Amino acid sequence: VARVGIRRVGTFTFPPARAKAASVAGLMRVVAVACVLGAAAGAWAAEWETPRDWPVSLRALLDVRVGQGTRAPAFTDRGPGKTRYGGDRDGTGFERETRVTLSQLLLELGGRLPWRLVPRVELGLETASDFENRPLLVEADVRREWGTWERGFGVGAGLMPPPFSLEHTGPAWTPRYTLTPSAGGSWVWEELRTTGLEAEGWRVLPGRLRLDVLGGLGWGTDELGALLSERGWILSDYLSGVNVTLPLPVPGKETAVFSERDGVPALYLWTTLADVDDRGALYVGYLDTAGDPDVRGLWATRFGTVGAVVHPLAPLDVVVQWVEGETRTRVAAWDARFRTVAPLVSAHHGPHRVSARWDWFEVSDMDGPPRSDDHGNAVTLAYLLAIGLRHRVGVEWIHTDSRHPGLAHADRSDDAWQVSYRFRY
Amino acid sequence: MRSTLAILALLLAAVAARAGEVRGRVVGAEGEGLADAVVFASDLPLRAHPPAAVMDQVHKQFVPHLLVVPVGTEVRFPNHDQIHHHVYSFSRAKSFELPLYKGEAATPVTFDTPGAVKIGCNIHDWMSAVILVVPSAYATRTDADGGFVLDLPPGEHRVVAWHEHAETPLDETARRVAIGTAPAEATFRVVVRPPIERPPILGARGIP
Repeated sequence: VARVGIRRVGTFTFPPARAKAASVAGLMRVVAVACVLGAAAGAWAAEWETPRDWPVSLRALLDVRVGQGTRAPAFTDRGPGKTRYGGDRDGTGFERETRVTLSQLLLELGGRLPWRLVPRVELGLETASDFENRPLLVEADVRREWGTWERGFGVGAGLMPPPFSLEHTGPAWTPRYTLTPSAGGSWVWEELRTTGLEAEGWRVLPGRLRLDVLGGLGWGTDELGALLSERGWILSDYLSGVNVTLPLPVPGKETAVFSERDGVPALYLWTTLADVDDRGALYVGYLDTAGDPDVRGLWATRFGTVGAVVHPLAPLDVVVQWVEGETRTRVAAWDARFRTVAPLVSAHHGPHRVSARWDWFEVSDMDGPPRSDDHGNAVTLAYLLAIGLRHRVGVEWIHTDSRHPGLAHADRSDDAWQVSYRFRY
Repeated sequence: MRSTLAILALLLAAVAARAGEVRGRVVGAEGEGLADAVVFASDLPLRAHPPAAVMDQVHKQFVPHLLVVPVGTEVRFPNHDQIHHHVYSFSRAKSFELPLYKGEAATPVTFDTPGAVKIGCNIHDWMSAVILVVPSAYATRTDADGGFVLDLPPGEHRVVAWHEHAETPLDETARRVAIGTAPAEATFRVVVRPPIERPPILGARGIP
């Protein structure tokens, strides 16, 4: 947590020597005149120049938050809180805490390699939690596409989250409609990372529909199920890196974002059927870690997702996504089924966007204690204001109502708010 | 009789004002023809009301990549993609932005200063285009071999050649071209840097 303060600096005194000051002033005048003349001479030429393109690009996103989370500490502090930021522990339980924090610092490296290869690397830094404080490798892949928008195919390789979230379509893959993604979006995008290969093809069909089918295989998902089974659903924009471990509620226990125990890659499929005229699009996805649950420390997880994005009017976005699956593991009795759905309505006009979302989520224990059961719902209201190209201010309020009998002191009903300022370069 | 005379007078005026031709090529450092260079007269007056122009957005690309308009032209930026674009320019000749929109929602932009205006999309980094705002109504583009034909009124004119990737300053390309009874010819030499194209991502990994 970054505490805001004012740092006092010393006072400087210039030497009183007048002659020296006069000579400096004269020199500055000469330099100023020369600059003006030079600028005037170059003005005509500069108008006709186009900026040089570089083979490498760098963009950054900085997000600073002021907010008050739920009374329960967040999962990043091993608490049962459902939101990204939570309260603090005191002698008798939990207390609210208002925070000023550097929520995200993301760096995006892009560019062009030979043979029309497109590389992308995204690094993040999140200081909101104490368990990890190092650069997070969010994405690092290379893609190559052939064909046109109407018909083509592509391949990719590297570290890339399966493109399952319908909300993470903002700059640097941040949520577009709210500050905090849905429970499903938090899990499939913020916490799921695969490293492998994928291929896709697309074409425009008769009836002005565009079909895109993407299939991939990726390593590193063997502990994916631990989060839902032991911790439960959360609504959080904590963007994990492949090189970190995430804390679990049990003290001292954690789970690696990249974990490959049996060498067998996960398989995933993502299909998009979109109306060319943008009335809407349907999405279907499936992922199976294809793991052997008898391998120690491995979670065999599989889930499907179905979603839709509809635009009944140009300034209106209606998004709904369903996620359902199960995870099994040999260690302890953590097998669980999980499901969530989140309809969202968002209206935008110029730089303004207002969004409302309702989340319903559930984890059902399949094999007795320890209990994985976690169910509840959440309401999210957000207002986002874009200021020019670079700035955005956002306000969000979340109300959660959930039960997780396996975790002590889990709040049943609570709310949280946050104000965000985002700078995008 | 009066109408016949009026038509005759108009025809005579049209013949008198008929433009002459400048033919030639724009070549690079090695003498190779440069496609998509723009040759224009820099000292001729503008038309009173230049027609409006369009810079479209289709399949996450600006169309056309290069748009040449005279000063004072109003340019529309329709977005015919099924996604939002956020068009902007930081160029000296015109700085503007059109926040996230689709369809015809963007307000047209009037380009009132001569120069090259590089435009981009704040969401899709690979999208880029150039609007070249020329100070006269007399401009033309080179073909694939660098050849051009520019119609000009009689007289002596200052003609220059511009290219998006030019290293040669525009003033160094200037020629005085005399338009008389015989066709004029001119060759422009413009040193260009190699273009760096950013391929679009058209599949599911492309930013919606």
